[in-house]
Parts: sequence; structure tokens; C-alpha cells
Amino acid sequence: MKRRGSGIGCMWYPIGFTVSANPSAATVKVNEDGTATLLTGTVETGQGSLTVLGQIAAEALGVATEDVHVVSADTDATPMDTGAIASRTTYVTGNAVKLAGEKARSILFEAAAPMLGVKPDQLEARDRKIQVKGFPQRSVPMGDVARHALVVKGEPPIGTASFNPPTVAMDPETGQGKPFSTYVYATQIAEVDVDDETGEVEVLRIVAAHDCGTPINPMLVEGQVEGGIAMGIGFALQEEILFDAAGRQINPNLTNYIIPTSLDMPEIEVDIVPSYDPTGPFGAKGVGEPTSVPTAAAIANAIYDAVGVRVTSLPMTAEKVLAAIRAKRARLGVKGDG
Amino acid sequence: MSEKRTAAEKETLREILPEVGTEHRLPATPPPAQYSIETLVPEVRQQTPAVGQRATRLDARLHGLGQTKYIDDLAFPGMLHAKIKRAGVASARIVCIDTRAAEAVPGVMAVLTGREIPVNSFGPSIQDQPVLADERVFHAGDGVAAVAAVTEQIATEALERIVVEYEPLSAVFDPIDAMKEDAPRVHPPAGNVYAHKVIRKGDVERGFAESDRVFEGRYATQMVEHVPIEPHAAIAQWDSNGRLTVHSTLGRITLGRTDLARTLKLPVNRVQVVGTIVGGNFGGKNEISQEPVLALLARKAGRPVKGVYTRREEFVASTTRHPIVMDYKTGVRRDGRILARKVRLVLDGGAYCSWSETTLGKACILSAGPYKIEHLHAEAFAVYTNKTVTGAMRGFGAPQVCFAYESHMDEIAAALGIDPLEIRLLNAFDEGSSSPTGQTLESVVVKASLLKAAQRFGWREPRS
Repeated sequence: MKRRGSGIGCMWYPIGFTVSANPSAATVKVNEDGTATLLTGTVETGQGSLTVLGQIAAEALGVATEDVHVVSADTDATPMDTGAIASRTTYVTGNAVKLAGEKARSILFEAAAPMLGVKPDQLEARDRKIQVKGFPQRSVPMGDVARHALVVKGEPPIGTASFNPPTVAMDPETGQGKPFSTYVYATQIAEVDVDDETGEVEVLRIVAAHDCGTPINPMLVEGQVEGGIAMGIGFALQEEILFDAAGRQINPNLTNYIIPTSLDMPEIEVDIVPSYDPTGPFGAKGVGEPTSVPTAAAIANAIYDAVGVRVTSLPMTAEKVLAAIRAKRARLGVKGDG
Repeated sequence: MSEKRTAAEKETLREILPEVGTEHRLPATPPPAQYSIETLVPEVRQQTPAVGQRATRLDARLHGLGQTKYIDDLAFPGMLHAKIKRAGVASARIVCIDTRAAEAVPGVMAVLTGREIPVNSFGPSIQDQPVLADERVFHAGDGVAAVAAVTEQIATEALERIVVEYEPLSAVFDPIDAMKEDAPRVHPPAGNVYAHKVIRKGDVERGFAESDRVFEGRYATQMVEHVPIEPHAAIAQWDSNGRLTVHSTLGRITLGRTDLARTLKLPVNRVQVVGTIVGGNFGGKNEISQEPVLALLARKAGRPVKGVYTRREEFVASTTRHPIVMDYKTGVRRDGRILARKVRLVLDGGAYCSWSETTLGKACILSAGPYKIEHLHAEAFAVYTNKTVTGAMRGFGAPQVCFAYESHMDEIAAALGIDPLEIRLLNAFDEGSSSPTGQTLESVVVKASLLKAAQRFGWREPRS
């Protein structure tokens, strides 16, 4: 019969990596009408990073997401970037984009100050305007300032900046040091049904509470979490590259190497845990990789909760679960095979 | 078919193809979009402040309409198609490669072997990986020769005519076996353990002595593939000044350009790498693969050359996730508080280092879990085997160790009769806790995430 169980997987994960420096650079150009172009050397790999970087540039300039056009991934045209790796894009490239946007903005403030009769440090950029702090009614449209800077002052509002997370090398003997700038945290709880006659595991529901610092785009965070869980389920229950005795793969195809499909997906409920990291762009950290980290652990613990057996190697196939159930019955002297 | 078209369809066709009427086939290139290019929810993308908005993705509409250009959608005049011959043996010396029959196949424009590659090695930390194997094969997925031909079919057929003579060498496939002194060496004369990491904090033996209970467990994970929808793909072409442009699915174009310039012995400013929108990476496209091969074939043939991995090549020739054997020993107080933990990790590094050092480091640092542990000793080894290369994959060792430390945690909780949520809340990091490497942690929300998930789930509420 089917037995239901639930299990917790909790994790921590660093943003960026340790082997070498981890820099990103970015350029923000504000056009004559107050729209902007962002140049970044990172690559869109389906995660939505270019949208998030555009939002960060827009926020730094006080304009809307739609106002920023993002140019990416051409070594001739875009600045150096460590790339779409290690959950680093929002944090590292995002910091570079924010700094570049602020540099461009400071040129706009210099141009706007005499227009508004105040000093540049009394200005802020919001809602496509440059306005006096505390007196939003005293403002100039962003486009007017940008045109003035370029055409009247002859100072194009362009900012270029780079960011490299501050780290401290680890001591080779003790491993002590500061290998990463910051970390994210998450918990996933899985609910499963385990058929104690076949060993088959069905994941019914996963609840995921992830920290990513400030969610620059909550919809994309949710998408990452759902995708990461799909990958985690494959890792937990289905996927394994198998080799023959001569070291050749025997299942290098999607007929014999089974990955989860939409029909295998459980109900997923995502919560973004409130958090703010002062070292990230507008408080953001990252979310890409962590989403698939705790899934297998949560499912393993849910299987134990359901049928009282601990499978200690992945994937937890029906064969392994059933063998563990039978071994447990044999140990307890329970009669019958079912 | 044409009779069955509705009046509306005929009208649409007439609009698109006014000059040819309704009964001609559609042009190969789609006509300009007939639909509005405004986003579906303009109010979100146009709002300020921008951060925190559920803004639709810039590329969502193109994806939805099937208009995103992936590498396989790109073509350049005269472009050829490349295929790479895979060794199929896990460990061998290459005695000779005879490519004459392949060169004679009509439609074959260039053939390449490893000896023709200017600098035949690459790798992000250890340059132990040949672009094409030349003297020795290290795993069955190694490329040994490549062909560029006018069609993919001809290139595939020509690969069959390349004859490679191998002298089999002893091989090792199990990482624990590979650590033994007398194991066959994958990259002689070097030993098979190619990276090692240690973290020591406090006095782990004293911690065990002070513990009420000590638990031990061994956990293991398997090798898996990234399985992106879009396989590795690239197009290489040269201009007449000898400048190379490579369109590629690479996720790290800055590093890719450096590696291409290095393997081809070119100044960096004569290489341009253009990253296209990628159909999934997950860590599998973080370093060059076939790009230098395509570049050299393109130079030999004087034409652009495209290469797209087959699904089989994605499995056998691209990087995979490290299988890890994980031994845990944990000392706890009767109330569930963890006092000491000893961890030993053996990573199956496959045939080449690739991103193993990063994976090793992250696995080792994270292996204690998000918990306050005063006495810790974690040690990790990356070991060569004659298997598919393991490298970067979403989580860099973290999913493996999380499976181990969280399974171990529940075993401890069950033995002590403590609820799994309670034991985690008891041990979890707080703001300002010290990490295994002695780093003071900030913006720590482990307990908040545990409580939020437990509340949403209805943890341990009576089931209906």
C-alpha cells in the first residue's frame, strides 16, 4: 500500500567561487531621451539574468525596466565578465551594473544641478525624473537632463564600473579564511507517497522557502525555484549515467536516461524569505543553483518518514527502496514479501 | 490542402505574399512580424521603481513565438558541418590515425587530428585536457579526429572511414580504487589524487570525547548530466585578415576567448566570441569544447564551420556532475546539539580536472551544513578516473553534501527521538555565526527559512 511521509532539506550556499578572482564589468549609456543601454559580458542561459540586470540598471538611473536595452555577450563590444556561473550574476555582475549606472547618473546630476539651482548631492533620480531630495515637485525629466548633458555640456552620460567580491584566501592547512562574500539559505519540505509493494516513490508536494536577498524580480526567482526542484527530483529519484566494465556509458540517450517531465512535477509552493544583504545590489544575493540543492535530501527524509528505510545512495530508485523495505522486514522478522 | 484554407487564412497569405498569390510555398525566411511588439503587461515593465517588479523577460515573447535564434538557427554562406570521432575506449595509447579514406569522401572539405592543434591542452585550473586526444586516450568520450563536410550526413559517414589504431592501457574507474598506491595512473607520472582540501576548526577528537552519542554514516551520489535542451553548439569563421569569430553556446565568453587564443596561439584581440541566447547551461557550458576544432577546420577549409553535439555527445563528451563518496561522523549532546563533525569526501574527478577544484572547495566548505559546529574536520579529495569528465554543475558539490548532511541529521534526530525541525532549529546558524572557515556570517536566515517552510507545509500538523 501507499504510505505517506514528509521530510526536510535545509541548505546554505555561497555566491560566487573561490579558485580565482571573480570580477565583472559593465557599461551604462544614457541616451538623449532618458532611455539607456547596458553593456554586459554575461550570457543569457535561460535564467532571465539579462532582465534582472536591466532592472538593476533602471533602478540605479531611476527609470523603468522597459527603458533599458541590454546588449550582452560579445567579446568585441561588451566588457569582461566571469560569466553565467556559480549563482554570481545578480550579485557580482549586478553590483558592477549598479556602480556603472550610478556613474552615469552622477554625470546627469552635474548637468541637472544648475538647471534646478541646487548642488548635485541634493539630487535623486526617480520616476524618470531628476528631482531635489525632499522636494519631488522640483524636478526635470530625465530626457531633458540627458540631452542637456550631451548636446549642451558635451558630456555624454556614460558610466563604466567593475566589481570583484572581497574575499580572504583560505589557509591551506586549516581552511580558515573568507572564501565567499556572502551566502544564501533555504529549506525545502517534500511530501511523498511510497508504495511499499513496489518501492515506487511519488513526490506529491514540495514547499520551498528560499533566501535570495532582495528579489530583484520575484517572478524569475519563483521560476528558478521551480526549475531547480525539477532538476533535484531527477537527481533524487531517476537520473544516473551507467558504465559498462570497460568504462563506456551504456545509457547516453533520453530513452534510457530518464529525466523528470512536467508530468513528474509535484505541486510546488514557493516563499521568498525576507532578507537584505548590504553588500549586494539593492540588497540582492542570488538564487540560481541553491534551488536544486536541498530537494534530494528532503525526498530522502520523506521516504524514511513514510516507510522507515534510509536509502544512502542516489538515485533512490524503486529497486533500491524496495530492497531496503524487504531488508527491514527480514530484520524485523515480518512475514510475507508484499 | 489549398482548398481547405479558410477565407481568413487566404487573406492572411495574400497580405504576406501579395506578389505571389496564395498557392505558392512560404519563403524560407519568415516575413516581418504581423503582430504588435508591445509586451503583454506593459504596466509592469514601464513602472518605477524597477527593482522588485515582476517584469516579463525581454526574451519571453521571442521564445513564445519561436523566433529566438539559437546556434542551430544560424547559417553563413558556404558553411560546413563538423563531426568529431569519439574514441570509444577508456584508456589507450594512440598508435596511428589514418584519415586518408575520410579525406577522399566527396563533400569532405577538411579533416583534423590532435597533432595539428597549436596548443593541445586546456582547463580552468589544470590544463590537463587535450582539445583532441593525440598520444593517449583518457576516457571513452575523448575526441580523436574531426571532419568538416558540406552536410552533417557526409561528415558522419566520413568519421566511419577514419581508422585509429589503439594500444589498450590499464584503466581505473572507481575513485576509491584510484586512490590506492598501485592503481593505474590516469595521467602518469602524476598520482590520481589531483586536488585536496582540508578544513580544521576546534579539536574534533575532543568534541567527540565530550559527546553523549556519536553517529557514523556513508552516503554516495551518482554521475548525472546537465541535459540542457540545446546541446553544445558553435560556428567558427575567419575573415581575410585572419581574425576569428566564434558564435557559441559558451556561458563564459571572456574565459572562452582566452582559451581559444591560447589553444590556437593567436593574440586575444584577433578572437571574437559571441554568446547567443542559450537553451540551458546549468554549468555544462562553462569552458571551451569543440570551438578550437571548428576554428581549425574552418581555417583549413576556408569556410565557416558549424558543430552541434548530438545528444549522445552531450552525455559522453561534455562534463557531468561529480559522484561523491561521503563519510560522516558526528558527535552530539543528548539534547541534539552537534558538538563535533568529521567529514571525508572522495570526488570522482573523471578523466580531467575541469572545475573539480571549485567543486571540491565548495563541497568541503559546505559539507558541515548550515549549522553551528565548534569542532570540525573536513577533508576532500578529487581523484582521476578513466571516466567521463566531471565539472561544473548547478550547485558545485552542494547537492551531494546536502543529501549526506541532511540524511545524517534525520538519522541523528530519529535516534534521539527529536523532531527533524526541532533539531535543525537547535543547531542552525544565527546572524553573526562563524562558518567552518571562520567567516562571520551576515544576512543569515536559516531559521526563518525553516519556520517559513514548516508553516507553509503544515509541518507535523495532524493529517486529515
